[in-house]
This record gives sequence, C-alpha cells and structure tokens, in this order.
Amino acid sequence: MLMLQYQNLLLQSVLSERLDPETPPLGIDQVVSDFDNVTFHISNPDPKDKTVIMVSMYIKCFQDLVKCGAKKILEREYGPYLTEPEPGYDVSLLLNLTDGSIPSDPEQRDELVNKIALLKRNTFAAPFEKAFDKFDQLAEEAAAEGKDLYAPQKSDNEVMAIHYRDEESIYVRPSYDRVTVIFSTIFKDETDRIFGKVFLQEFVDARRRAIQNAPQVLYTQKEPPLEIRDVVKPSSNADNMGYVTFVLFPRHLVASRRENCISHIQIFRDYFHYHIKCSKAYMHSRMRFRVSEFLKVLNRAKQENVVKEKKTASGRTFKHPN
Amino acid sequence: MAHLGTPAVVMDNGTGYTKLGFAGNDAPSFVFPTVIATAKGSSGGNISRKGTEDLDFYIGDEALAAANGPAYSVNYPIRHGQIENWDHMERFWENSIFKYLRCEPEDHHFLLTEPPLNPPENRENTAEIMFESFNCAGLYIAVQAVLALAASWTSNKVTDRSLTGTVIDSGDGVTHVIPVAEGYVIGSAIKSIPIAGRDITYFIQNMLRDRNEPDTSLKTAEQIKENYCYVCPDIVKEFNRFDNDPDRFQKYMADQGLHRRATVDVGYERFLAPEIFFNPEIASSDFLTPLSEVVDTVVQSSPIDVRRGLYKNIVLSGGSTMFKDFGRRLQRDIRTLADDRLAANQRATGVKSSGVDVKVISHSKQRNAVWYGGSLLSSTPEFKNYCYTKQDYDEMGPGIVRNFSLFSMV
Repeated sequence: MLMLQYQNLLLQSVLSERLDPETPPLGIDQVVSDFDNVTFHISNPDPKDKTVIMVSMYIKCFQDLVKCGAKKILEREYGPYLTEPEPGYDVSLLLNLTDGSIPSDPEQRDELVNKIALLKRNTFAAPFEKAFDKFDQLAEEAAAEGKDLYAPQKSDNEVMAIHYRDEESIYVRPSYDRVTVIFSTIFKDETDRIFGKVFLQEFVDARRRAIQNAPQVLYTQKEPPLEIRDVVKPSSNADNMGYVTFVLFPRHLVASRRENCISHIQIFRDYFHYHIKCSKAYMHSRMRFRVSEFLKVLNRAKQENVVKEKKTASGRTFKHPN
Repeated sequence: MAHLGTPAVVMDNGTGYTKLGFAGNDAPSFVFPTVIATAKGSSGGNISRKGTEDLDFYIGDEALAAANGPAYSVNYPIRHGQIENWDHMERFWENSIFKYLRCEPEDHHFLLTEPPLNPPENRENTAEIMFESFNCAGLYIAVQAVLALAASWTSNKVTDRSLTGTVIDSGDGVTHVIPVAEGYVIGSAIKSIPIAGRDITYFIQNMLRDRNEPDTSLKTAEQIKENYCYVCPDIVKEFNRFDNDPDRFQKYMADQGLHRRATVDVGYERFLAPEIFFNPEIASSDFLTPLSEVVDTVVQSSPIDVRRGLYKNIVLSGGSTMFKDFGRRLQRDIRTLADDRLAANQRATGVKSSGVDVKVISHSKQRNAVWYGGSLLSSTPEFKNYCYTKQDYDEMGPGIVRNFSLFSMV
C-alpha cells in the first residue's frame, strides 16, 4: 500500500452493510477513529428504532474549519442528511432507512456511502476550497490589472490557520498567482526527526531532478517562513518545529485537478508519518536478515574436531608424559 | 460524551483470525484472517531494492484474493498462537493500523494479546516493534485467557468479578483448557485438545459424503455447522427423537455460485458433530479423552486452594463453543465427574464433603471473547496507568514488558 486512502474504510464497510435493504436492521454503537484526532460515532439515536442510524464526527479543530466555511461544504455535500450535532460531536448525519431518503439503486447507494466515508476529507477541504476560490478571484483581478505573474509582491491576504493537532498546524494562504500551504511539523522521536529530514530533503530534490510538474516544496527548520511569521504562535518547542511549504501553482488549481489536489495535500502529514514508519519497518527487516546471516557465519565457525579427554572404564584419564 | 482523548486500539492477533477494533465497542471493527500476501521474489531480505517493493503486500481477505493471482504468495506470520515471522508481522501491523484502523499510533494506546506461556522474548520483540517502529503512545500486552475471563463478566450469571476461573478456548485449530488464578495463568496445568472447529467441519463433510449429498464442499459443511448444530443431552434418546419426528431433519440450500443451487439434507450431524467434544471416539482414533474429563484433570492438577474457584467459574471462549447447550452439557458432565470423586472419597474416608459447585458460563460475547475482554478493560479510565509508555520504554529498554501489572478491576 503506497498511498493512504482518503475515505474511512470502516465507515464505508459498516454503512454499505447497514444501508443494504437486504440485511436485517441490527443495533449499532461503534466508536471509530481516524487520523488527526478525528472520532466518529455510529449509533442508533433511539436504541429501540434500529432503522435510524446516526453518524457523528468530532474534529479537534472544528472551530477553525467553521471559520473557513466548513458548514457550507457540509451543507452542499450532505444537505438532506445533516442534523443537530450529537452532544460531544461536531457534525451529525442522520440516515433513516425507512423513509425513502436512502436511494434504492445499489450504485447510488454506494455513492452515498462513499460520500459519507469521505466526511472527514470533505470537512477538512473547507480552507482549501476557500483558498482556491480566493485565488480565482485574485487571479482575475490581477489579470485585469495586468500584473506580472510570479513577480514577488507583498500580499495582505489573510492566512487561514488550522490547528489540527496539539502542536501542529496547517496554514493556507491564497495569492493571485499561487496558493501556499504550510505544514508545521514536530517529531516526538529523535529517530523520526532524522528520517523526516531525509524524506523532506528528498521532496525538495525530487522536483529538481525528475518531476517538474509537482508543486514546489520548501523545508525550513525553526524559523517559520515569511508568509506565516505573523500568525505562528510562539511555542516552547520552537526549536524542534519544522515547516514544510507547498507552493501550488495555477496548473494545480484548475478545476479538473482541484479535488484531487485537496485530497492529496490534506493527507500529507499522515502519509509522511506512515512512510517514516514503513521505512523503519523495512530497516528492521534488513537488520533481522543481517543478524541471521551473521549467526550462520558464527555457527559455521565452530571447531569441528574438539580434542576430547579420553577416559578408561574406571574413570582414569590418559596423560601425555611431556 | 466527554472526550477522554482517543480511544485505545485493541488488537487480538490469533493463529486463524485477527480481530481489530477500538476500546469501548462491543464488537471488533475488523475480523480477517491473519494472512499476509507478499510479492514473489521479494521475500529475501538481502536484495537491495530500488523502489518501494516492501510496500507491495496485502493482508487479510485482500491477501487471500491477491494470492489467487500469480504475483503474490501467502504467508501466515502466526503459528500455534505465536509470532513466527517478525518481518511479516511488522508489516501486518503497519497495514492494520494505517489502512484499516486509520489511526496515528502516536496518539493511541494499544492493547495486544498473547497466548499463555508466550516466551518473554516474544513480548520484547513485540514491544520493540510497537515502540520503535510505530512510536505508540502506550502498550499493554494481556494474556488471552485472562481477557476471556474478563469478558464473562457480561453474563448475568457472574456475581463476583474475579479473575479466577478455567477458560475453555476453542477456535479453529486447537482447543485449550487454561486455569487462571487471580489473573495469573497456571502454566503447568494447561492442557490442549486436538479437536476444534475445523475437525467438526471435516466430520460434517465426511457425513455428507457418506450420504452422497449433492454438495459436500467445506463451505457447505461450515454453514451447516454454524446454523444447524447443537449439543444434545443424550445421543441415544436424540436418535430416537429424530426417528419419531421427521421434522428434525432439515434441508440446507447450498449456493454453488453461478446461480446453481443444491439442496442438502441435514440429519444426525446436527447433534453428532458437536458430540465429538464429549465422545471423541466417534471422529478420531488417537485422541479419546472427552472434554469434560480434560477440564476435570486440569482443575485437579492445579493448586488445591484454587480448585473451588476453578470449578465455579468455567468460561467459554471462541467460535467453537457457540453450539446451543454446549455449556449446559459440559456443566452436567463435569459435575458428574466431580460428584463421583467426592462420593468415592466419602466411601473411602467416611468424611462428608460439603460438595463442589460446578458452573459453566456462557455469554453473548463468546465468539470474540478475548477481543471483547480487551475492549472492556481498555475502556476503563485506569487503563492508561497500567500501560507502559514510550518514555518508560526509552528509559528501561524492552525488558520492561516482561511484567505488566494486573488490572484490579471492580
């Protein structure tokens, strides 16, 4: 598995089973977790009525996302199913199996299930969509004014900050010729930090070497990049903080690539950490292999003809008279 | 609901099936075979790879599907309950965590299970992988039998929540009888029986073949086992009952794929198949001790002061104990054995005993009892205090996981 999936596999499998009219309704109450401190809760709001299923989601940084217009996106994607959020959760969808709101056509139903499995992805898409729209608008204005593309320019556009983990955040900043996405990363583990550095260096170099169309990646340590210097909160761990900057150019932002781009970029941190862990696992298997090879060599090095002490039947030993 | 942080992850890796899920749920989120399919030609560790071949693998049901093609070969990383191939297991966990459970291990505590008598080196290896590869926030490794005991607390027959009892764990490959005293497994008294789910399936399949049924596939036999079999109190009476009452013979519609269907008669195997636990001679010629006798021997070979507790709390776990009335029959048979021994003792010595209380506990979570017990324990607020954290590990090294303090749950 090279790429991580965008949808929540468990949500998908549970719902596609439950929404199938052929399966008998069963009570359900499951807590499901996802990356970035997201928790789902699938339950029956009324334990007696098993045909109504509620899917709730808790996101740590929901307030940040709401500021970026998450509500609008949720309304657009899940309009008819949205309901008053369950206490302790931020978003709730209500699926009633009996009132005909679930499409009976298996294909449409699968589509709905997939959409719900992408609940986290769609909610997190809010700041990106907003930034991309803003980019469109700025680009048009710039074209009207005849501004030079890529000319360095001071921009006073607002930076959107999403504090999606305790110490890590995503910053999105639209401009008229690009959208800058900056991840602040921190590694709890010393080894991880080294792996992380190698990986990030590789991201920077890969573009130079082969993949010309990829977004530009910059990596800085300690010092936050200029774009976000004003919004970064000073923290005790500032020295360990790294900043990964993605610069998305207009060719990444065309309508046909937009959705894909959002999906890819928001899973970046998980993808990054997943691959650090995978490479550690790979190194471990190399180490195990090497150890077993050495052991083989060691076993071969055993003396074959060990001189044994010879004894007579009565227990006396022979001794050379030298 | 207040958010007490992220839920703990409970992983029960068995020989046959892996159960994955989050603490507090009443059923595992994923149950799939403990199988990994790796790309052929990349199994050796020395080939220096240029790309990402080490990520080219599947686990679980996807692995079995992939292995039908020519490019992948199947591996079973766990044999006889113990992890044999750590390379494969590490990648199996990698995929379970990131693809199936979708969690960042740094944010979650983990509860893993191990079979009784697992060598401490295996625990250390597990800890090394969990802490060094995955940086998991905290780790607890529990013995499967103890978790099965904890799962039995859901039964309303259990009045005191003690961790003393005999666990009968019958999965697909082998059946274990494990005495546990105050949360500690009495290793010297464990017995295993080479009769389990697979043998019952083969027995049914043989009966179907003897009768020349139109469909005698293993899948059909399995379906019949799961849906029609039950334990009867007395075979002779049950045979008579079948002969007098033809309604007891049933029919099973076997789906052979491609819209072909075959009707299979289901007859005496309904009660004969589970009977091989109690009268093994009807199926095998080399193992002849009934389950009830094995349980009795196990209790008798345990220290004398815990025997009462072991008789009083006999807990079932695993899919092959799910037959209707299995617990009742077992209880009756063990009680007979225990009472006979007391009577003989009384005849010999003249001392009257107060009698022993034999109780077999069945409950609704029996099938995934080990996982459920894990979920139950790890959803308590104290759980995180019992885990070893990454800091502990860095401080003390892998030897730290040789001992885990037990839950004193009330």
